[in-house]
Amino acid sequence: MNRRDALRKLAGGGAVALATGFVSTTALTAPAEAEPVRASKEAVGMLYDATRCVGCQSCVAACAEANNLKPDTRLTGLHQASLDLNHLTKNIIKLYKPTGASTWSYVKQQCMHCVDPACVAGCSFHALTKDPQTGIVAWDASKCSGCRYCQIVCPYSVPRFEWEGFNPKIVKCEMCRHRLAEGKEPACTSVCPTHAVIFGKREELLAEAKKRIAENPGKYFEDRVYGDKEGGGTQVLYLSAVPFENIALPELGGESVAQSSLKWQRKIYQYLAVPAVLYVSMVGVMRHNWKHHQEHLREEEEKTGLRPQL
Amino acid sequence: MTGNWQRAVPVYNQPIRTRALYVLGALTGVAVLLALYRVFAGLGPASGMNDAYSWGIWKTFNVMVLTGLGSGGFAVGIGAWVFYRQRLHSVMRAALLISFLAYFCGLILLTIDVGRPWNLYWMLFPWNWNTHSPLLEVMVCMSVYAMFPLAVENVPPILERLYDDRPSLRPLIERAMGIIAKGYPYVIGLAYALPMMHQSSLGALMLLAGERVHTLWQTPWLPLLYVWAAAFMGYACVAGTLLFCSLMWKRARDMQVLTEMSYITAGLIASWWLFRVGDLMYRNRLRAAFAVNPYSFVFWLEMVLLAGSVVFLVVSSRKQNTQLMFHGHLLAAIGGALYRFNPTTFAFQAKPGAFYFPSAIEILISLGFVALGIAGFMAAVKLLPILPAPLSEWRGMEAHGKARSGLVAQGYAAAQD
Repeated sequence: MNRRDALRKLAGGGAVALATGFVSTTALTAPAEAEPVRASKEAVGMLYDATRCVGCQSCVAACAEANNLKPDTRLTGLHQASLDLNHLTKNIIKLYKPTGASTWSYVKQQCMHCVDPACVAGCSFHALTKDPQTGIVAWDASKCSGCRYCQIVCPYSVPRFEWEGFNPKIVKCEMCRHRLAEGKEPACTSVCPTHAVIFGKREELLAEAKKRIAENPGKYFEDRVYGDKEGGGTQVLYLSAVPFENIALPELGGESVAQSSLKWQRKIYQYLAVPAVLYVSMVGVMRHNWKHHQEHLREEEEKTGLRPQL
Repeated sequence: MTGNWQRAVPVYNQPIRTRALYVLGALTGVAVLLALYRVFAGLGPASGMNDAYSWGIWKTFNVMVLTGLGSGGFAVGIGAWVFYRQRLHSVMRAALLISFLAYFCGLILLTIDVGRPWNLYWMLFPWNWNTHSPLLEVMVCMSVYAMFPLAVENVPPILERLYDDRPSLRPLIERAMGIIAKGYPYVIGLAYALPMMHQSSLGALMLLAGERVHTLWQTPWLPLLYVWAAAFMGYACVAGTLLFCSLMWKRARDMQVLTEMSYITAGLIASWWLFRVGDLMYRNRLRAAFAVNPYSFVFWLEMVLLAGSVVFLVVSSRKQNTQLMFHGHLLAAIGGALYRFNPTTFAFQAKPGAFYFPSAIEILISLGFVALGIAGFMAAVKLLPILPAPLSEWRGMEAHGKARSGLVAQGYAAAQD
């Protein structure tokens, strides 16, 4: 049997299944109708109004204390002064004030607790999970392999890794879930002297934010609440007088990246159906060609007198 | 020196303990010691990785690139078994050995790279898998592939050697070969389904990073481009290695097989190249390729290297120029490696001001486990019938006084009846 015959047989048999399996395993770009993830009714969150923040950093200190984090004094050797979120800092206040600019703003950074988080979508063993009720994105040390994929995919660069030591952890805001369990609110919102950051149900906070916009037309950037729709929505909401991109809140579009990028991956690996089809068709082709290869080997053996090699 | 490749023959006339082997062994030893340091000191002191660039060369080179180069067992195998290109069977053993070593060394580095490797045992509990995660797919599929089908495919040469050395084991080996022969189509099915899945999922990994990957690389077709790149990198690596070995150990080259492989490589690259440009045009991103910045430079570096390799491969095949052919495969491997390397490094826009360069320790560990793979290859091809040769080479070996009684197991022929 020559190759052309083999190919013809192949085309008639498993090849169709094979081709469909292969094409769909890789990528089909046609958009699929899929239900976007929505925040639950009980979802909790925070609303940070940058125009009310005075930059006192009470929340930074309270966060470190409530989460048993050592004060990050590496900058001055004296004061707790982190330059960025890091393995000692789950919450930070930064100042946006370019030289010569007339506008400036503080910004508070911590986990945004996305409605459809990329980190949870990518996490191999469910070490990062989203609570179905509260929507809090929490980390489980017993399941994390330390692969740091969450750091690669988070659009806000939130998860941080403990780079030193043999038992490193992923460090990020978990909305003080240990305090919530005791009936308290998160440490940062509990100490804020100007109520720049407040805690509550996401729905109520969203209504409050929209009320503030309605009462102060023109005060807030684009009369928009960041986190309402951005990146599929977040449970930490922002109001700001300066453009969001200036305070490190990227413009992400209305669809979560997990939703937009993985819908085909998700369909293909659902019930492992496509891989199974792929495997079965491969076996079909192989069983066919294996027989012919056996014959070929036998011929070789007769010719050379040496036992065939596989 | 040319001749038809008819049979896998050990490189019997070369010493096994060479200076090169000791150097490679020393490099591996250094890497093992440094890996111990990394275990106790943590990733920070041992590497240049940071919160912005949290994936370093251990993942982006040793896993992304090396498994791409080690895709020969899968890519050449599909050519030989599925598309029934009979000639390619002669290079399968070499392809499978390269694949096994590349995956094996890549997986070792993966366990050194992850911060909490003891939790990898969750892999054994499917009910705890996040089946929607491309990373889960990669980790599970790669491990299963390397430990099961790829390992099984590499067993026959070992049994063959044992068959010759230990007559007392022969009945046992015959039975083992019989079992392998019966299960072979089912194993091979996995050996092709699994790499298709995890090599494409390696591309899907970066889909979830969204706009953090530069628009010249970020495309919904990333999974397809990744598995495609793995295919031509696999061919290039096998053909390049065979050419190199034939020069180093003065063994015959089968120009028919090598030409066939060169044309397949060139065809895969050319179609990949056009598809990539077409995708950029379709997504209306071609302009980004002509912007003057480091991204477009790196993009064109990949594209020019790969276009160059196509030219080299086609011209060398026409003129039967071995040296040019080797350079063609080398360019294909480097260009493909660069493409697989970039989305997680040069094209990964973590945040302004962020910087990553691998530390000396990181580079030494990375190189050390590449050295282990090369050392393993050099030792294995001398001990086992792996590299293809003309029948005369086998007769030469017999004459050399190291006759092997011929091979393995009637078993698998018998099992068919």
